[in-house]
Amino acid sequence: MLYIHQTRCLSPQQTLDEIDLNRLTVSGNGKLPVKEPVYPQIPPGVLRRMGKAVRMSVGIALPLLQQAVQPDGILIGTANGGIEDCIKFLNQIIEYNEGLLTPGNFVQSTSNAPAAQIALITRNRNYNTTHTHRGLAFENALLETTLLLNENPEHYYLVGAVDEISSYNYNIDRLDGCFKEEPVSNQDLFLYDTPGTIAGEGALMMLASAKPSGAIACIDAIQTLHTREHALVKQMLLQFLRKNKVDPAEIDLLLTGENGDSRLKGYYLDAESIFPDHTALARFKHLSGEYCTASSFGFWLATDILRTGQVPAIAVKRATAKPCKKILIYNNYRGLQHAFALLSQTG
Amino acid sequence: MSRILITGMGIITAIGSSVEENRNALVKEQGGIGQLEFYPTAYAGKLPCAEVRVPTEILNKKIFGHPDPAITRTGLLVLHAVEEAIKDSGLLSEELASVDTALIGATTVGGMCLTDEIFRDAQAQDKGSPYTSSYDAASSTLDAQKRYGILGEVSTINTACSSSANAIAFGARLIRNGIAKRAIVGGADSLAKYTINGFNALNILSKTHCAPFDKDRNGLNLGEGAAFLVLEREEDAAGKKRYAALSGSGNSNDAFHPSSISENGEGPYLSMIHALQQAGLEASAISYVNAHGTGTENNDETESRAMQRVFGKVPPFASTKSFTGHTLGASGAVEAVFSVLNIHHQELYPSLQFKEPIADTGLIPVLHHRKETVNHVMSNSFGFGGNCTTLIFSKA
Repeated sequence: MLYIHQTRCLSPQQTLDEIDLNRLTVSGNGKLPVKEPVYPQIPPGVLRRMGKAVRMSVGIALPLLQQAVQPDGILIGTANGGIEDCIKFLNQIIEYNEGLLTPGNFVQSTSNAPAAQIALITRNRNYNTTHTHRGLAFENALLETTLLLNENPEHYYLVGAVDEISSYNYNIDRLDGCFKEEPVSNQDLFLYDTPGTIAGEGALMMLASAKPSGAIACIDAIQTLHTREHALVKQMLLQFLRKNKVDPAEIDLLLTGENGDSRLKGYYLDAESIFPDHTALARFKHLSGEYCTASSFGFWLATDILRTGQVPAIAVKRATAKPCKKILIYNNYRGLQHAFALLSQTG
Repeated sequence: MSRILITGMGIITAIGSSVEENRNALVKEQGGIGQLEFYPTAYAGKLPCAEVRVPTEILNKKIFGHPDPAITRTGLLVLHAVEEAIKDSGLLSEELASVDTALIGATTVGGMCLTDEIFRDAQAQDKGSPYTSSYDAASSTLDAQKRYGILGEVSTINTACSSSANAIAFGARLIRNGIAKRAIVGGADSLAKYTINGFNALNILSKTHCAPFDKDRNGLNLGEGAAFLVLEREEDAAGKKRYAALSGSGNSNDAFHPSSISENGEGPYLSMIHALQQAGLEASAISYVNAHGTGTENNDETESRAMQRVFGKVPPFASTKSFTGHTLGASGAVEAVFSVLNIHHQELYPSLQFKEPIADTGLIPVLHHRKETVNHVMSNSFGFGGNCTTLIFSKA
């Protein structure tokens, strides 16, 4: 059981500070980049040396860390960390034929740089770790946070996710068949029954504890799975609900990571088929784009829905009249990595 | 709460392709550092490394029979070590494929050992290599997930050079919290132009064989390898090998500098203290420390100070990186295997190349293999970004 107390989400949409999901930011060239804010808390000299992923994650984490008591741990999920710096360094290696190189990009490029920089800037010597398991990096960081809270119910943690689009990882993923060949805007993402999706990026930071008082949402359970078998995913999803003593009819909203990729559509339809008509359906990848930790945007959206009780019209796939108190998130990364999460309203 | 036991181990490093070969080299004091034979880099012949003396094609053939075109050297090292650990523990294929089995890997380089391929694919100059799904950290763990059809929790951790120590601690946490009944935990890293050039740019690679804790130490040697351990609850381990128990882990961030440790080793000090607390042990109970001991000026001095702060009188210690080189993301698991062997065989492994102590601390590591009563072994792993982790293993 993990209670979310505060969140900050940096995404291609208006999700930071003045939240407004009524005006959709439209993608260009199959990419949905974030609009970065200014980061007043990061010293300018430090900011200059930061790659985008580090900048985004540190930039939105610092405003959450103004409390007198430091979090008892920092757990970040990121599949690629500072991939831009990493490949810049690889480029140096090739360009200068392994000659005299500057180490700046190398030091910034390790995936633990976001968690490490947050710790360094806030002088936090507590627990610190980084999960990098591709499409489940964020869920694994969240799962570990719930376990730490089980063991230390008095503690509180900063848990977050970040991944960036760089031209390099975009190129590699494009060669790997991740993106649509035809020009598709995020407005029309679900209209084309073709393989691939659009690229996105973003960062999420949350403060989490085991205490319900003052919380904005609760993550009741989380489970991950690796398989490509459709029937097994459905079976495991049903088992997940049973294990957590929730009947499908009790779920007010199924929020999925549907991303317009025809190869994954069947998994999402299978998940939808479990729930009765009075369960609302919503999706978010047309808002966030697809990236390894894109599900973090889904967690942010679910938290916001539980806070307001309303599903934003732009995310709705099937509306219902019921207020939204219990949400199941199902995300699928490239047909192999699946995550189920149960969230509920507090108080 | 049931104790967590190590019931199986697998390892491949420059000093051997199995647990037995690695132990023999440690006992005979035969290190694995030398000039590169296989990895193509401009530094071959100039910067000694600890290379696994098996070419990638041979590893691939040995594991798959026919070469898998999309697998990286890192993935092959993982499969090699995981296979040995699973066999050693006697895990059945239905146990592996159950939702009760967790797999936690760790790496820093992952598939980036293929520097030239990733460069070409990142420019999208042609149609793409067979490796476009294999560069990230997760890919080598996913190779093992796929091979054994593991349905439980699977993760990959990257906290730089403490990655696999954190993978081991996370696996134990999954078991303690009932998320998994057993966990296959460890890590791997291959030699890569990325790390050779990165550490060289930081001026911390030694041109000779590294001499951890020596006053004239002049840097580290990069190594490569993989190590995995099978963790099981004591109640599930009846009739199994009981190498040792994982009795504690500690994690702290030094929060001082992206690539060096604070003068008094605050992060290392805290990670050792937290591990002792979790294990419920006094510092004086520790029989031996497998130190991080990279052989760099900064690490060995700060780690020495941190050990003096924790122990007062520092117990016998050594750095086995003087045998295996610094295997980065794999080092926590490699040294966990060695720590477990300390306990299982009741013996201490030495540091090679040591001549004179650091003036300020005066600490002298174990210099020769010897038999000794070993009850509890502490293993330290510290990484870039200040990520410090300590594990404690105890007699089962």
